[in-house]
Amino acid sequence: MFKYLTRSVRLTSRALTHYNYATSSSSSSSGSGKNSTGGQLVAVTKAMEGWSQKLQDAGVSDTEFNLKCIVSHVLKRKFNTVPDNFSQLHFDQKQLADFERFLEARCARMPLQHIIGEWDFLDITLKTAPTVFIPRPETEEFVSLVIENYKDVKHVNMLEVGCGSGAMSLSMLHALPRVEATAIERSKAATVLAAENAKLLGLQDRFQVHNHTMEEDQYMPEPLKDKKYDLIISNPPYVKTEEFQFLHPEVVVYENLNALDGGSDGLRVARLVFDLACRHLHSGGKLWLELGNEHPPLVKTIMHLKYEGRLNFVGSYYDQYKRERFVQIEKV
Amino acid sequence: MLLRKLLPVRCGYLARRWASSDPLSLQNEKLQSYLESLRQEYYGLRVNATGNSRAYERLSQLEGVVNALEQRRVLERNITSAKDIEQEKDEDMRKLMEEENEVYADLLSKQEHTMLQELLALADDEVYPALIFGVNAGAGGQEAMLFAQELFEMYTSYFEHMGWEYEEFARETTDIGGLRHANVMVNGADAFHWLRFEAGVHRVQRVPATEKAGRMHTSTASITVIPRPADVHVHIAEKDLKIETKRASGAGGQHVNTTDSAVRIVHLPTGLAVEAQSERSQLKNRELALKRLQARLVQQQLESSEASKQATKKAQQGSLNRNEKIRTYNFVQDRVTDHRIQGGTLHNLDGFLKGGESLSGLVEKLQLEHRRSRLRDLLEAWQPPQKAANKD
Repeated sequence: MFKYLTRSVRLTSRALTHYNYATSSSSSSSGSGKNSTGGQLVAVTKAMEGWSQKLQDAGVSDTEFNLKCIVSHVLKRKFNTVPDNFSQLHFDQKQLADFERFLEARCARMPLQHIIGEWDFLDITLKTAPTVFIPRPETEEFVSLVIENYKDVKHVNMLEVGCGSGAMSLSMLHALPRVEATAIERSKAATVLAAENAKLLGLQDRFQVHNHTMEEDQYMPEPLKDKKYDLIISNPPYVKTEEFQFLHPEVVVYENLNALDGGSDGLRVARLVFDLACRHLHSGGKLWLELGNEHPPLVKTIMHLKYEGRLNFVGSYYDQYKRERFVQIEKV
Repeated sequence: MLLRKLLPVRCGYLARRWASSDPLSLQNEKLQSYLESLRQEYYGLRVNATGNSRAYERLSQLEGVVNALEQRRVLERNITSAKDIEQEKDEDMRKLMEEENEVYADLLSKQEHTMLQELLALADDEVYPALIFGVNAGAGGQEAMLFAQELFEMYTSYFEHMGWEYEEFARETTDIGGLRHANVMVNGADAFHWLRFEAGVHRVQRVPATEKAGRMHTSTASITVIPRPADVHVHIAEKDLKIETKRASGAGGQHVNTTDSAVRIVHLPTGLAVEAQSERSQLKNRELALKRLQARLVQQQLESSEASKQATKKAQQGSLNRNEKIRTYNFVQDRVTDHRIQGGTLHNLDGFLKGGESLSGLVEKLQLEHRRSRLRDLLEAWQPPQKAANKD
């Protein structure tokens, strides 16, 4: 297992020597249009030869989808406008070089979302950044569940704990015009990225994010310490420390482990969120959490034992793979 | 002096009198009594329509015509009769009356125009909330498929131009960018009234991109329009669905970062399977797949349901013959010719293929023609009620 990891780290560092993260490289290539690089056009089908096998050998599954994402990124076209059949598409020399560099990085198991510098989440597209957690497809399911519950509510004052790229809050704001969101986030890079995403989506008027590390008796940043909310959402780190050895290189090598590490039972951060909710939810306000597989029954027990009279376990819900993962809790 | 002023009024009056041999002129007696019967039907319904949805539907249909008719009568009453003008002794007063009459005559002719429009709209038959619009490449091989693709693009931008929602659910394309066939569900209460005139064979004449020797070819593509009756509903139960995604085992969530977003849904009762992978978000793909499944099920039901067969048959009478060649797109002469109406030739083919005003204008012409002929038929078949009563 460890051999495997060191190999991918080695590959990464090799890839990175001539690769300065997707965002910067794509901006440099955007300036140089066809005229400066010009030269010969290469058929995309030709450029792709052999890469599918290389990706597979590197342990990347779903190679076709990966290739299509990278092709559309190199051509600067929206993913859903690129045909499944590439026979009509061509790269110029500059694009060909980009294409090969990106695939090299992908073979080193750099996450696809980091390579192309953006990802779709529900109806919005978010910028991604190397040290910020990439939103997962189950989280889309989680957010649509929360949206479903709040779509008819007049006004919602919402708090998100640990917003990362801003995916959950911003997709809520995008779907529901009567929601206002505040977020706290421990990583500086993520705080900056979330604010930037809000601006890109034109949602900055209803979204504010504070750089703050939640600790016991210092749950909220100073300016917010007396604020109360109608709704708190969070996808706290919930991977158990012992599970780290089994994770994919995309996750364990490239992602910010602070966004994943949930301590020995995966609920270290969730417990802090419970305490925060006791102090900062209005009576009758709700706390929605996305957690790991075996957590919801555990949370129910914790609510009964430790939060009797303060928090009330409302229910748990399943993700699209029929895993019990989401919980709703009410402030008494 | 006075005579010269009166003359145009008289002439207009005579002209209108003369025009009354046209069945759609408002001076026509049969049309007049038809309108009166509509008015009585309207007021009758207004008193008696309690909780009957058909009656309410008819009421709202009639409302426009009857309102226009009432306004017209008010205007008519305001016009001073020629006899009154002659009897008026005061010269200034008489002038005033004449001037007033001219204003009212002008208003009246405008009012007649709106009323005719309302009456023509009344001639439309049943309303369908949605329809299935099909594009199929016809004779002409690859070239026909390229043309089918162009038609497909023209119509989708036309749908957008008209503000109709549409959902594409079956589409087979070729490698060089052609289209074998495509089906699109179009939602919009008025969509059928417009699109029905597009069904038929469309012919293209040009030197194809695929032609090496530079000869001109004639190829075809056909359009089908199947109305969807209001009572066709498909309910999809959650338990009947098997949703397949590639990421199904392991812990999921924060533990993994795989990006598979393709979704495949199997509808267990029918065995229908649909896939979607055109979006990066899995949830979006699932929504897309569900919509496709819904459309496929509706189509299946439509093809088997008797109601729809009848509706299609009815719609195809007259202008909607599937095998009728309805329009020619001649690229060499840069023109479009519709074979069903007088003066149906338009130039600027590129503009036409954008599916905007130009296409919309032609369809409007076709629709007006269709409404006129339907109203004429309606009037011909209509018997004034009192005559019918006399026969008894």
